[in-house]
Formats: sequence, structure tokens, C-alpha cells
Amino acid sequence: MSWGKYVFGALVIAGLVHFAAIYAVPRVLMNVAIERVGAGGANKWTVGDRVTQASRQIVRPSPDFAYSACAYDLSEGPVVISATPWNDYWSLSLYAANSDNFFVIDDREAHYGAEITLVRRGRDHPEGASMVVESPSERGIALIRRLAPRLDAYNAAKQVAAEDVCASVAELTN
Amino acid sequence: MLRRILAWIAAVIAGVAIGLASAWAAISFGASGVSERYGQWIYNGAAGSTAADPYTRAIIARAGLLALSAREARYYTLYEDEHGRPLSESCIYELSGRPLDARWWSATLYADDNFLAQNNDSAHSVDATRVGNDRAWSARISPVRGDAANWISSRAARRGFSITLRVYNPQRDFHASAESLPVLTTVSCAGDEP
Repeated sequence: MSWGKYVFGALVIAGLVHFAAIYAVPRVLMNVAIERVGAGGANKWTVGDRVTQASRQIVRPSPDFAYSACAYDLSEGPVVISATPWNDYWSLSLYAANSDNFFVIDDREAHYGAEITLVRRGRDHPEGASMVVESPSERGIALIRRLAPRLDAYNAAKQVAAEDVCASVAELTN
Repeated sequence: MLRRILAWIAAVIAGVAIGLASAWAAISFGASGVSERYGQWIYNGAAGSTAADPYTRAIIARAGLLALSAREARYYTLYEDEHGRPLSESCIYELSGRPLDARWWSATLYADDNFLAQNNDSAHSVDATRVGNDRAWSARISPVRGDAANWISSRAARRGFSITLRVYNPQRDFHASAESLPVLTTVSCAGDEP
């Protein structure tokens, strides 16, 4: 029996599995993160507890930020996302299903907070929307970071975060 | 016939095993291949970028999911001391730096599982709001604070922990180098000669 074709077959399969795994890892990890962030429902902000040694949802959290996260889902149409301003550094960032950070805006550009309408790439932009951002994927994560290294700052940031909006346009107009 | 079928089954199993093992190795140990090095600091400018290649994306997703793109923030990570040894809870280090051309920075300790060390010292990081960004500074990295003015607790961080330097809103003239980034020095390790 010639072993050459079996060895060749094994190497071809190894190559295919290797590249499939490399491609899949960020998508699988993002999917896990989307499921965790969206456990309470999609298109809804969740204000994270203060980051401590018990924070184990997302790798390498910074204890110096107050985080708010929203698992967005554009399957029912555009989603409105707003970030209330904060008295120190803050930013609103968007992550696609493959983990790419495809949008970020911070307080240098948006002194008075930010409001965007998120649509699926290639879809019609809603009329009247001031800032439309196209998402390369139907699902993803919106994240607000507010610099709050101390407990009192975190508590204040948590109150500010209650004003943030993450909701589908359909939900807002009903 | 049966031998052929068994041989193909073995080939498929071997192929899948080799493919998965090589992908795991690339993601676990491939960071240096897609990163720049400044002294002991490892930096990947493609973190979070929409232009990241599949390997960078996979490596970052495992160790730094939801990282910001380089325009907003830069992430530098130390895994080794100045002698190339893995960072260890049994050593005392000093991290010293100068002001950075950026709006804010922090240095945070992570255990080898990429989460904060399992201690309740509330000393996982130091940042520019606490030590200032207008003068030279230093922080002790050790299991107990002692007389350190600035302290990052390595208690329960075991061996193989890392320090991540976050540099937010880097200015146009911010240039990372071994000289401009903080320097880690080993003060002592348990078991060293007195």
C-alpha cells in the first residue's frame, strides 16, 4: 500500500482546518461576547459593574473605566445608539461580528455626546438621521468607555450611563 | 479495502489534529510574528483595525477582544523582565516612566489567563490621573505594598503575568521607543542570593 496519497491527504486537510480555525476564532469569540453582553436582550445597554478581579466576561478589562455595552442586532432594521457626555475621557466604539473596531468617536469630536443611527452596510439610510454608520455585520457590540479610576467617579459614570440609548428605530417609533 | 478505509480515516483524523494544533500554536505563540517590539514591550498596531490580517485578528481576539484601533488607543504589553524571564509573583519589580505625549495612560497587571489577578488589593493598575503625566514616575510591582507610593499588586498573579500599557489619544508627536516607554527593572526575586 502506498502511503503517499494518505500523507498528502492529511496535509491538505491540516491546511484547510488550520485556516478555517484561524478564520473562525475571532468570530466564535465575538459570538460568545455578543451572547454574554446581550443576555438581557439585544439593543439594550448594560452598565457593567466596576471592574474587579471578579470581572471575567471579556478578557483584559481595565479597572480604570466604567463600561457600558450593547449587543446590537440589525435584523429588524436600524438601531439608534447614543452616548451621554462625561466629564473626562469617554468614547463610543462599535465592533463587528469578526471583532473589527469599525467605528469610534470620543469626547474630542463629540463634546455634547454622540447619537448615531446604525444600519446594515448597503441598506437604505433612514431619512432625517443626523449621523448614519454602516455596520459590516448584522450583529455586533457597541461599547462606551468612561474614564473613572476611582469609586466615586465610577458611581457618577454609572448614573450618567443610565441616559444612554441603544434601541431599534422600530421600537422608538412605536 | 478495509485497510484503505482505515488509512483514510487515520489521514482525516491526523489532518484535523495537525490543523487544529498548528492554529492553536499560531494564536498562542504567534504574537511576536505580527508585532513590533520596543525594549521589552510588544505592540500590535493592527489591533482592532479593519485592515487586520486573519492571524492578527485571531491573536488579538484571544488576548484583547474589543481593543480600540490605534487611532484611539495603543496597547503595549510586557511579558518578560529585562533578562527575558517571565514575570513572576515571586519577584519585586519597579516600573518607571516619563510623561507620554498622550491624553491618558495606564499600566495594568493581568494574570496568565488574561484577567485581573485574583486578589482584592484594589491595586491592579496605576494611571496618569494618580501618578501624573507631567513628571517622571515609578511604581512597584510586588505581592505586598510595603512603602511604595505607587503600587501594582502581583499577589495571586503567579508566574507568567503581564503588564499592559494603554496609551489613549496619543498625540501626533507620540513615538513609541524603548526610551520613551516605561522601563521595568527587577529589584529582587525570592531565592536570590542576599
